[in-house]
Amino acid sequence: MRYRGSVLFWQLLILVVLLASWEWLTGIKAISRTPGLYWIDPFFISRPSLIARRFAYLLSDRVRLNLWQMTLSTVQSTLWGFVVGVSTGFVAGLVLGRNDRLARIFEPYIVAFNSLPRIALVPLITMIFGFGLVAKIVLAWTIVFFIVFFNTFQGARSVDADLIHSARFLGASERQVMRTVIIPSALAWTFASLTPSISFALIGVVVGEFLGGESGGGLGYLIIQSLGTLNAADMMVALLTLGLIGIVMALGIKQVETRLLRWRPEYRKSA
Amino acid sequence: MPAVSGVSFEIGDEEFVAIVGPSGCGKSTILNMIGGLVAPTAGAIEIDGRPVSGVPANVGYVFQKDTVFPWRSVRRNIALGLEYRGIRGAAQARRVAAAVSMAGLEGFEDAFPATLSGGMRQRVALVRTLVVEPEILLMDEPFGALDLHTKLDLHAELLRLWGERRQTVVFITHDLSEAITLADRIVVMTRRPGRIKMVYDVKLPRPRDVIRLRETDEYLRAYGEIWHVLGEEFAREKAR
Repeated sequence: MRYRGSVLFWQLLILVVLLASWEWLTGIKAISRTPGLYWIDPFFISRPSLIARRFAYLLSDRVRLNLWQMTLSTVQSTLWGFVVGVSTGFVAGLVLGRNDRLARIFEPYIVAFNSLPRIALVPLITMIFGFGLVAKIVLAWTIVFFIVFFNTFQGARSVDADLIHSARFLGASERQVMRTVIIPSALAWTFASLTPSISFALIGVVVGEFLGGESGGGLGYLIIQSLGTLNAADMMVALLTLGLIGIVMALGIKQVETRLLRWRPEYRKSA
Repeated sequence: MPAVSGVSFEIGDEEFVAIVGPSGCGKSTILNMIGGLVAPTAGAIEIDGRPVSGVPANVGYVFQKDTVFPWRSVRRNIALGLEYRGIRGAAQARRVAAAVSMAGLEGFEDAFPATLSGGMRQRVALVRTLVVEPEILLMDEPFGALDLHTKLDLHAELLRLWGERRQTVVFITHDLSEAITLADRIVVMTRRPGRIKMVYDVKLPRPRDVIRLRETDEYLRAYGEIWHVLGEEFAREKAR
């Protein structure tokens, strides 16, 4: 308990020092009181006080698309991309992981597609799906799918053969082997890919929003708009919000993981 | 080189047969052939006069390696075979509870395997196999990784359980004491390619006391005689 308390203390201390020096350093003028000549120019990195003001303003109803709506749009597309990517990646990983022939046949296609930089797909995806929710989800999906696919594939391949044999001796059919041995075994591997998956889903969505314009909404749109108006404070608001979203989602996954993998000793200790 | 060659023997109903021999003599191969995991390149395995192809029904297999499913609690591990057979609900619960008490695992029903000792996990694996009442039990050095005390415990346990149901057992081991303690008949194998070197009938009466029987003359005689034969194999292995 004391240990946790001191960790929290240091974490808060770092935050306070960071914010205070940010505020202070961006307030010092370099030569005289001439505007614009700062040691560290708030034009580029803004200031905490300014960011807080913009935060409140963007949350209010005085803007056409407020921060709540943008956050909601980003979170929504991220979750959809995540869910669709994880489920399709999991199924594909299981199927190819347990079928050498199929795995052989699809291997070059999978490697080729996976080595494409996903950002290069954004214009094409936009062309096909337009500006909006679907395009963002598709982009997130193209990334998440492969992360989950490769992990599950590996997991499905490395299922202990003796576990499968014991299930057979206990009378399991092929489907029962799949359900009671291969899927639970592979799940442990799949879970390892969920935390990176959610971050990458978020990346996909934000990149999609860069191009998506207002109809796509979202925090990526706020960032691009702030670039247009050279507004560092708004950009910081978007970045901070994205950071918060990332933390909350990672915590959510951790919860699910701890619950579902509670049979593993390493989860029992932390639980 | 084949793992085994010219091996031929019959195992009677309700008989407990142990197979011993130097490592790499094909003991496990024989067991895997009986279990239908490996097909013989020549010859045949028959159970009740029918050749084995694929995993036969009525055969239980206890592996040396820990094959308790780590993501299932003790209770759900034991329930596996029943679940596969579509036995659910109260009928399943009753049989699982009986198996739990049979193995002395009361109080650990909801524990996950990672929290159990190696001996207890192997106990779970054993009753998990027995709960579906196989007629033939194949055991591949099931207690090989356990310490002597735990091993003796499980020997007593196995003999008691076997005494109740009298499955036909084929038990692979490299531990001669274990073979004599448990088996009616001991098949001694030669080094690779494994052949049958000797078949020894253990004349120890049942029920057996796994600790006291080691002080009997028959135990010492069996040990001496089989050891002598095994010793020849070890010597030959070395000379190669």
